[in-house]
Amino acid sequence: MSRLRALLGLGLLVAGSRVPRIKSQTIACRSGPTWWGPQRLNSGGRWDSEVMASTVVKYLSQEEAQAVDQELFNEYQFSVDQLMELAGLSCATAIAKAYPPTSMSRSPPTVLVICGPGNNGGDGLVCARHLKLFGYEPTIYYPKRPNKPLFTALVTQCQKMDIPFLGEMPAEPMTIDELYELVVDAIFGFSFKGDVREPFHSILSVLKGLTVPIASIDIPSGAGIQKVGWGRLGPYPPDSCPHQV
Amino acid sequence: MSSAAGPDPSEAPEERHFLSTAEAAALERELLEDYRFGRQQLVELCGHASAVAVTKQRTVLVVCGPEQNGAVGLVCARHLRVFEYEPTIFYPTRSLDLLHRDLTTQCEKMDIPFLSYLPTEVQLINEAYGLVVDAVLGPGVEPGEVGGPCTRALATLKLLSIPLVSLDIPSGWDAETGSDSEDGLRPDVLVSLAAPKRCAGRFSGRHHFVAGRFVPDDVRRKFALRLPGYTGTDCVAAL
Repeated sequence: MSRLRALLGLGLLVAGSRVPRIKSQTIACRSGPTWWGPQRLNSGGRWDSEVMASTVVKYLSQEEAQAVDQELFNEYQFSVDQLMELAGLSCATAIAKAYPPTSMSRSPPTVLVICGPGNNGGDGLVCARHLKLFGYEPTIYYPKRPNKPLFTALVTQCQKMDIPFLGEMPAEPMTIDELYELVVDAIFGFSFKGDVREPFHSILSVLKGLTVPIASIDIPSGAGIQKVGWGRLGPYPPDSCPHQV
Repeated sequence: MSSAAGPDPSEAPEERHFLSTAEAAALERELLEDYRFGRQQLVELCGHASAVAVTKQRTVLVVCGPEQNGAVGLVCARHLRVFEYEPTIFYPTRSLDLLHRDLTTQCEKMDIPFLSYLPTEVQLINEAYGLVVDAVLGPGVEPGEVGGPCTRALATLKLLSIPLVSLDIPSGWDAETGSDSEDGLRPDVLVSLAAPKRCAGRFSGRHHFVAGRFVPDDVRRKFALRLPGYTGTDCVAAL
């Protein structure tokens, strides 16, 4: 069968540009679809699943993560809208697998989604929308909103689906513990650099005092991506990475 | 056959399972204008869900028309690749708009082959692939609008003996009446996008999925749609 397909293919292919193979396996512990990286088909025309199964997961540095993003935008012509939708959907799916509605106390389970000022916040908006569709009851806190059509449209989609937006962040961790069963941290992503400015510094302090679980999108906000990861926004050994989506 | 934009008053509201073409267009308009969904978002969600609905055949030929149904097909092919299938695309009449061009680039960059012609000898297709995805015509697109190569492809696909999965409506069927369902395409699987169209009542294949998880509850209520629930995180539901 593959020979016939090869016959069909030979001389009939219009284009199939060869993508330069990324040297290291780039299976990233990050939000969004699992990106296996461009692979060459072997002669049988099948993926080499044995190779993939035995691959050790690699964690990306900030530069590598940015390089993957640049490749997706520039070479693959993905739009921010597409990737953000896939990322947010994947995050909601991961959260639903980690915290299925049947395992939560309330029905529907209540979730607080905290969205930062950049793309990580946008991922959070998409995630909140899909969580609602999956049967959760999300509430969003989105204090700093970029004035770009992508983000205003995502806010509109959430508003139209009756997802409430808080006017202010609860000041006490206990208040959040009482109202919500889970917090989604969509504040800062892998491109974050420098100091944490207000209001996010205060927000992160409140989150540190929580007893309910936190699910972080991409990286725990405020963590130095090059350093040891921060669980529950505090230090922990590198091989225990709780709730990182 | 109804050309009214609203629900048919003679149908009890609780029992509507289908949308007319005009209602489908109105639902899409609501998502685009009121909910501010971008076309890219909707096409991405539909294409991803279509890929999820595809059966376990590994080698898949995806035939894409020049309009939105074709764009959904391009997204579907890309997700099939991510799901470790082996898609091949036949996309003879290419739209010039940016969305289609970018979706094409994404498929090319992922080494999904594009055929430059489709053999008229259907046995070659039956032997080369396990499954064909029909993403040629959506509701409201006249078969005459799509040009020679797509029309010829549809004629060949009518004689297919391997399974056919149609996205949204079987290409060539009248979206309202399902006429041409006798001598038109006879898909094995229908994946209705957002909600089933009227012609789906004439579908007689094995599986009918609706890919509409992303449609907000209020919109579904507004169009008085009654559809089976989605389980867990599934983006498709079997009807």
